Amino acid sequence: MLASFIPSRYLLFSFATALFLWRVVAIGDPFSDQGLTTALETVNEQFHQDLATFAAEVAAYRDLAERDAPRHKLQEQHLRTRAAFKRCEYLLEYLEPVTVRRHLNGAPLPKTEPKVPEIRVIEPVGLQVLDELVFAPEADPAEIQGQLGKLSVASEQVLTYYGNIQLQHRFIFEAAREEAVRIFTLGVTGFDTPGSGAAIGEALTALRTLDAAMAGYLPYIAERDTAVARELRDAFHHGTSLLERGEFETFDRLELLRKSINPLTRYLPAAQRLLDIESAQDNPRLSHPVNANAHSLFSADFLNPDYYARTEAGPLDDRRLALGELLFFDPVLSKDLRLSCASCHDPKLAFTDGKRKSFVRNAPTLINSVYADRYFYDLREEFLDRQIRHVVVDSLEFATDFTDIAERLNQSGTYRKLFAEAYGDQPRYQLSAWSISDALARYVQNLTALDSPFDRYARGETDELAPRVREGFNLFMGKAVCGTCHFAPTFSGLVPPFYTENETEVLGIPDSFTVSQARLDPDPGRIRSGRPEDEVYFQAFAFKTPTVRNVQATAPYMHNGVYQDLYQVVDFYNRGGGKGIGIHLEHQTLPFDSLGLDADEMDAIVHFMEALTDYERLDSRPDHLPTFEKRPEWNDRYRTPAPVIKAANETTGD
Amino acid sequence: MRTLYLLLLSMAVSGLPAQLVFPAEIDAPEDYAPVEEVMPPSPLRLQTLFIGGIDLVQTTATYGNDANQTNAKEWHDFIGFTPDTTTESLGWISVNHESIYRDDRIGDGGGMTVFRVERDEESGDLNILDQNLEDGRAGKFFNVDFVNTVGETGMNCGGISSIVDGRIWTAEEWFRDDNASINYGNFSNYNQYDPAPVSYPSAVGFDENSVGSGINQGVRDLRPFPVDAPEFPFIDGDTIAKYENFNWMVEIDPRQAKAVRKQYNWGRQGFEGGVVSADNKYIYLGVDATPAFFLRFEADTPGDFTQGTLSVYKHDAEEKWVELNNNSARNVLNLDSLSIEAGATMFNRNEWVAIDPTTGIVYWTETGRDYPAGAWRDEAEAGAVVAPHHAARAAAQGENITALSDEYWDYYGRVMQYDPETEEISVKIEGGPYFNESPSQTNYPDKHLSNPDGLNVMTIDEQQFLVICEDLNGETFGRMPAENGSGGSGVRNRMCELYLLPITDGTATVDDLIRITVTPVGAEITGAIPTPDGKSLLVNSQHPSSENPFPYNHSLTFAIHGFDELTTTSLLPPSGVDEAVGLEIYPNPTLQTVFLNRRQDVALYNQTGQRLRVFRNVTQIDVSDLPSGAYYLRSDEGQLVKLIKH
Repeated sequence: MLASFIPSRYLLFSFATALFLWRVVAIGDPFSDQGLTTALETVNEQFHQDLATFAAEVAAYRDLAERDAPRHKLQEQHLRTRAAFKRCEYLLEYLEPVTVRRHLNGAPLPKTEPKVPEIRVIEPVGLQVLDELVFAPEADPAEIQGQLGKLSVASEQVLTYYGNIQLQHRFIFEAAREEAVRIFTLGVTGFDTPGSGAAIGEALTALRTLDAAMAGYLPYIAERDTAVARELRDAFHHGTSLLERGEFETFDRLELLRKSINPLTRYLPAAQRLLDIESAQDNPRLSHPVNANAHSLFSADFLNPDYYARTEAGPLDDRRLALGELLFFDPVLSKDLRLSCASCHDPKLAFTDGKRKSFVRNAPTLINSVYADRYFYDLREEFLDRQIRHVVVDSLEFATDFTDIAERLNQSGTYRKLFAEAYGDQPRYQLSAWSISDALARYVQNLTALDSPFDRYARGETDELAPRVREGFNLFMGKAVCGTCHFAPTFSGLVPPFYTENETEVLGIPDSFTVSQARLDPDPGRIRSGRPEDEVYFQAFAFKTPTVRNVQATAPYMHNGVYQDLYQVVDFYNRGGGKGIGIHLEHQTLPFDSLGLDADEMDAIVHFMEALTDYERLDSRPDHLPTFEKRPEWNDRYRTPAPVIKAANETTGD
Repeated sequence: MRTLYLLLLSMAVSGLPAQLVFPAEIDAPEDYAPVEEVMPPSPLRLQTLFIGGIDLVQTTATYGNDANQTNAKEWHDFIGFTPDTTTESLGWISVNHESIYRDDRIGDGGGMTVFRVERDEESGDLNILDQNLEDGRAGKFFNVDFVNTVGETGMNCGGISSIVDGRIWTAEEWFRDDNASINYGNFSNYNQYDPAPVSYPSAVGFDENSVGSGINQGVRDLRPFPVDAPEFPFIDGDTIAKYENFNWMVEIDPRQAKAVRKQYNWGRQGFEGGVVSADNKYIYLGVDATPAFFLRFEADTPGDFTQGTLSVYKHDAEEKWVELNNNSARNVLNLDSLSIEAGATMFNRNEWVAIDPTTGIVYWTETGRDYPAGAWRDEAEAGAVVAPHHAARAAAQGENITALSDEYWDYYGRVMQYDPETEEISVKIEGGPYFNESPSQTNYPDKHLSNPDGLNVMTIDEQQFLVICEDLNGETFGRMPAENGSGGSGVRNRMCELYLLPITDGTATVDDLIRITVTPVGAEITGAIPTPDGKSLLVNSQHPSSENPFPYNHSLTFAIHGFDELTTTSLLPPSGVDEAVGLEIYPNPTLQTVFLNRRQDVALYNQTGQRLRVFRNVTQIDVSDLPSGAYYLRSDEGQLVKLIKH
């Protein structure tokens, strides 16, 4: 009871020892605090100044556009404005990523207004849109003016709101690390410079900004650990000198990664710790997609599966995982006892089935599938542990429901025991829709593999990499612009550097293999995800961007399995997607007509993708499945061959 | 050491924004005994009542399937409470499922789950009772049968829980314009962009075989709907398009778990919430749209809501309530055009409505939408008028800005009030704050109210409070303080808050809000409604979060018990605080918050001297998720205080 609780009861009187100080243990000169404050203040002032400069450049840009300045003047001013943005980018993206995405430098694609109970399309605004407009062969002055009108309001509003904000030490270190990832994954790939092609120069501006921000901190980092300070200095030095002499088509992105980006992702958080600066990840109750302690973005622990699967580590994890593996391979989950998850996701084929379509779509690999904020080709499900429900109820798949499945599993003493052991802490839900889904989700969550030959080279663990693979990677991340949708390190649509959102793309996939007069595959894709907010024209024929890891083992390709080999896939893109083979979708999202790749270049890209192979160590299955004492007819269920699957025209599960 | 202290102090005094770092480790005190403060456990505690998607509901015979049981639907939103007039139990709880998803046993669309509870005299918990219903169902949880009564519902979000007798209505949000939008079968809005339409699967008309198949995610029965509603002769016997049978207020009987009627006489709208007045005569309705109109139904006979007049609010008229003719099917199906013709007052997304039974004042959340002008300009031209507070806000935003300008923004929303005595509307509390200039650190608010959504009235210690749930509709322009940045720190869930606001005369500010932190971390809270005995607040967590172990990572209905043990003073910050230099703390167990004597940077250490968290520029710290134990708080000047959390 708290009836007697009054404020005076918890007033504190601390005058007795008010000025007592504790000794600082094992940390260097406490006076450096003052120097750190100066370092922070320098960045703080610079940021406020850069925001003002950016707003002023936008205003000047708008002015030129309204005075119908000649095209080259506009282009020059465009590049100046973008450079000004790049100098604020790391902190602005850290402080207000959504504002940057929606108002300043988002992808040039329409979106729907979030959280309103209707479909309302918001046309894209910002520097990326302008990059295409101002460098297009036919510039539309009215459209450019309209864009700049909106951009100038937004840049003024941002200046108003953040022009005076007091930064914190941790913002600077964390924003800088994100920017290092952004430079590699988005910057040098040309993601936000589709028209101007100014990617390398802008990456240089961004990296120099980080270098300048760290300059004030470096002496104090050196005081604590000279090696860490040296690594950071070298990383900035190597990175800027590589970018200074870089050209977009020939730039060696792997060298930038190994000499500059890797040391930055590793030592920026290390320096932050050395200086005793707190971290956003100090709060253990909030999980984060990116691990601050991972050395490289190609480290196996760079992304946190727990974040994506929304699971929390606990003492029963191993048992839940083992139970999930049994369930994954057990056809008892399906109504006629003939289908298991493994029927379409065979470990021998990197968890695919080699068929064009399993039911209505091509079965995607499950390896690394946990790294996503939504699941299925149409992104219809947000939760990994609910993904299974779609398969359970689909009439073409398991054609049952959880109450029936639970009833069946309850008839096996082995399963009863395993569920009791794995979920005994929740007696009311020990064998339930939840525990069944959870166990399966944990099994899928655990199917991660990020140790391909390419990863080992990217991390710097080996210096050996076939020249064709290197060449292919640089094309993938450069001229062929694959990496602007298949983002590193998952090489899927999981968008860096936050890794909190998946993209879909509208490619114009044909219904059968042909290179001319193709017919569009009728599968409507994301527009029919069942989520009201997806019911908008630009989601029609949109599909999740899958990973290209393990593609060597996962043919055929695309949501309908239309392409038999990787050469056909690369050729499709080289022709500009559907547009190049006779499919005209106004809202196709490939921003190019043709990539201009020759046969040798396409071959190199295939070589690179094949170097992303790492699945064989996950190829295992349980020796035997639990028996059902009173259902002897169920006990040879896994010997029953899977039914011949009839093609269906309707689209539901995967 | 003393020198250092003085140096740092002088820096602080000279105004240099010294931002000091806190050592990652400090010596555990040996001979030194810091001032110790004890925080008792919160009198508030959680009890899980109902887990969506997992708990089993008893179903009726539906779509040719026998009565049976199956996993409940998910996406909990509104909660209704129907008090038991006998002493057999406390009453019935009704939970909305805000979804539109096929289900062979419960029925397609959205839905509701009901159950009956009693108060356990010993533990104070709520026990869920076994029930036998008239239709033969027996069990604890029951889905409300819509399919075999009034037709499917969709996106059941808000609703009405009558303060008079606990009658329950469910609201169907997300206004439907065609059958495709309840079925996800074809895409009428695609063709206009497609110069050469290709063939793609079209909507599947009703097909006995399609029920039970995976085809179509939404409502599968799209046959024209014959209205069977003798109470409403103007529409009874008509056949309407299936989608037109959505977006009504629907009364249910929570005791028998079945729908009673779609309230055709209140018009078809994207309803979100409503209230019944204490005299059982008026219904006030909230519509989630831009423009939203504020509607009132006046019963001819109190308690009989099938006969009466429907009116819309017009603030600039002599008679504020303008009657709408609801005696034709055409009119109730196109209510918006009637409101526009009447020149009604336009709001920006009205959500939940609540009523204070002690005063009769009606409150509602106007959740806001970033740039509303484009969504209400046509209506303004056709005669509807912008609410006065929007006109005033727009004028304040710039010389030439009106509420019809594209630049006019309404990022944060607000809570409105309507006084039936004066028939005037006014802003109860404005969301935000917004700053024309970037706030200096010392002025940055501890609380920020963005996009209020759920709303109710609760009595604590004989004082009336509004219970406000946020539902952020954006992350731009300060809605997410940098500390909680969604991208920067990768926090998935927007930090939606549950607030209490003491109801006093006049306008309140965000400083008056009291944050309730006992709810699961990062969970989006909705549906808050007190039990009639004042002991518990029932809440839904609609959007689960990863940071909470089962069952808190699911769609969940839970009870927060212990409100009867609160005093109003226990909800307030400390008084008589010494704001001079140094660190003093004032732990408040009810709020699980440690108040500081002044704004400053502090670090939290564990008992062995390891730093756990650093809090910058704060006047209070939320410690609700800390395990019990001993901790130290250290000021940036090195001063320590010990906190024992029980």
